[in-house]
Amino acid sequence: MGNIKRIAIVLLVLLIGSVVAACAGATNAPAPTSAPAAPTSAPAATNAPAATSAPAAGATPTQNAADIKPPSSGENVINMYSDDDSNIRDWLTNKIIPAFLQKFPQYKVNLISVRGVGNGPRDIADRAKAALDTNSDPLADILVFDCTTYPALRQADLWVKLDDTNVPNRKNVINSIKTSDCSQPYRGSQVLLAYDSTKVPENEVPHTFTDLLAWIKAHPGQFVYCRPDKGGSGSNFVVRAIYEVTGKDPSLFKPGDPDPALLAKFPDAWKLLRDIHSAIYDNGAYPAGNTQVQTLLANGSVSMASVWSDQSLQALQKGVYPPTIKLVQLNDLPFPGGYNYLSVPKNSRNVKGALEFINFLLEPDNQVSVVKDLGGFPAVDWSLLPKDLQQQYTSVITSNVPSWPGGKWTTELYKGWYDNVATNIKQGSP
Amino acid sequence: METAQLTTARPAPAVPARRDWSALFAYLLISPPLLVLTLLIFIPAAQAVIETLSTTDAATGQTTLTLQNYIAFFQDPILVANLEFTIQITIATVALLFVIGFPLALYLRFSKSRIAAAVQVLALFPLFVPGVILSFALIEFLGSHGMFDTMLNLIGIQGYRTPYQHLQGIVIALVWENIPFTVLILTAGLRQVEDAVVESARDVGANFWQIFTRILLPLSKRSAMIVLCLNIIGVFGAFTIPYLLGPAQPMTMGVSMQQTFNRYEDRTGALTQAVITFLFCAVVGVLYVRTITQPREGQR
Repeated sequence: MGNIKRIAIVLLVLLIGSVVAACAGATNAPAPTSAPAAPTSAPAATNAPAATSAPAAGATPTQNAADIKPPSSGENVINMYSDDDSNIRDWLTNKIIPAFLQKFPQYKVNLISVRGVGNGPRDIADRAKAALDTNSDPLADILVFDCTTYPALRQADLWVKLDDTNVPNRKNVINSIKTSDCSQPYRGSQVLLAYDSTKVPENEVPHTFTDLLAWIKAHPGQFVYCRPDKGGSGSNFVVRAIYEVTGKDPSLFKPGDPDPALLAKFPDAWKLLRDIHSAIYDNGAYPAGNTQVQTLLANGSVSMASVWSDQSLQALQKGVYPPTIKLVQLNDLPFPGGYNYLSVPKNSRNVKGALEFINFLLEPDNQVSVVKDLGGFPAVDWSLLPKDLQQQYTSVITSNVPSWPGGKWTTELYKGWYDNVATNIKQGSP
Repeated sequence: METAQLTTARPAPAVPARRDWSALFAYLLISPPLLVLTLLIFIPAAQAVIETLSTTDAATGQTTLTLQNYIAFFQDPILVANLEFTIQITIATVALLFVIGFPLALYLRFSKSRIAAAVQVLALFPLFVPGVILSFALIEFLGSHGMFDTMLNLIGIQGYRTPYQHLQGIVIALVWENIPFTVLILTAGLRQVEDAVVESARDVGANFWQIFTRILLPLSKRSAMIVLCLNIIGVFGAFTIPYLLGPAQPMTMGVSMQQTFNRYEDRTGALTQAVITFLFCAVVGVLYVRTITQPREGQR
């Protein structure tokens, strides 16, 4: 009797134990793939692919986006593949596409989301290349894809060459962001400084990186930037420090394998950042994301931070930030940012329609909508936008948006920052 | 493959023919979990260990057996600091769990009041809250200018320093998350101590402290060991909470592995950290297995 009872209790304990263990396992085990995604893929991640997105190694493709087929294809259909956040897709679906169809009623536009599916638009690009080789329909007309990130397909001559004749509005686009003739930027986002104007008087607002570092040191605990791998507002702050010690010339940093001569200068940037480490909020507590930085600024824990332009403009519009928060860009060399690029495969069944759609996105009205509705930056020169809008954004307007090449460069940046800036341990001999 | 060997080789020689069938049936029953363990855990783990123990010469393509990866780990002050940080968190969390869990379990074991039922529900509540939700709730509650800070301010206490992004934050969350498990097992252990034993001790004049140290503690040693071992293993390998609540540096081993693999793109480095973490947990695991396989004391 007693034995049976005891065995029953032990069994019950084991059962409960295993259930508990399973639950604990469930919250712990799958986290490496699911949880980290949340803090890193803040809205800005889609706006600046180069700077914010995690390295490709982190994404474990479970599916291939190329398996996704559009409902139709042909001469009067525009199939557009996007991995944008839902706010961007909503904007395209509800605002841009209806306006486009009003002007060009002969077309039908399918917006297909490949966000989080395999490698997203890259898979579609591969499919288009395969279709080019076999002379079949790629089922794709526009890809939200920067052709410079995939040199092999560019060499294979997959993309339509874009110029002022086939995309007339291209002539209005800021020169420095036209990085290739196979992709068209149409909206962007840049990192800026946000500050609380009630705590930082106008004459103290820094306008160069050196001034900023001096301000941070003079006001311990009042500045914050996030960990570089957790949000682009942090990584672009770190990138700006690297530019600072390499002669403020972003063009030195080319996609591909990092240049050893430049890498050798990274420790100087770590020194700059290490110098302000203890003056960062809470003795060097770096938040784990763009949003956390916004929260600290909004609730008054800090009075200045590095932030994304689009997130901040939206935060101001929605009242997340008090109206006393002001935005400013450095004027010696601005903080880096990123633009969103569109590419058209040569074998598209509707190259004409695709180019017309891209051209339409660059119309002044739609560029104004990028600023007003998305909080993004226009791809065309600010001077072409209405005067009152320019007035409103005068402190953040810049004609120069440096862009970081990403890839192995970013890996070096992460490791260097974590091993030299964030830690109190002096790194000894390897 | 391994199970096939077991089923054919083991029982055949010594035992008589009739029992052979039942043994075969038993092995058949345990073969699916064994197969899963072999394919999904043992083989990848063995591969990982082999990978961390070998280096391939880039020039000759020759692979040699070496401890180089482990030496590199222990020579890197940052990685060693991560390991120490993890150990500190584990010790602090498990100690706090006992300090909180034991009184709770004692109360739940001996109280017959209606409040006890409510306390039990409260103690088990964290079981149903996922770690991600808990972390964000704590960030909101404990963060600077959060609810706790505001409340302190209302009663005139200034200068609050948030535990968020510090070791304390991780410990608070891990303790909260593991209370239900601790209380469940400890209460179950205490329930095995029969009322009669406690009552007879009381009859001969033992006070509460004596009953606790002479009877309850020795008789619930086993469940305490189970709680200790499983909590250490769980906390040591925790990921979500340290990831969301911890500082940029140092990191716990789980976070460090993810960082090394994903951000620094250093697979072997991450594997080395995983093997070291596994070895730490394995020591505790051995202790656990010995505890539960040991014959029960005081068996009548």
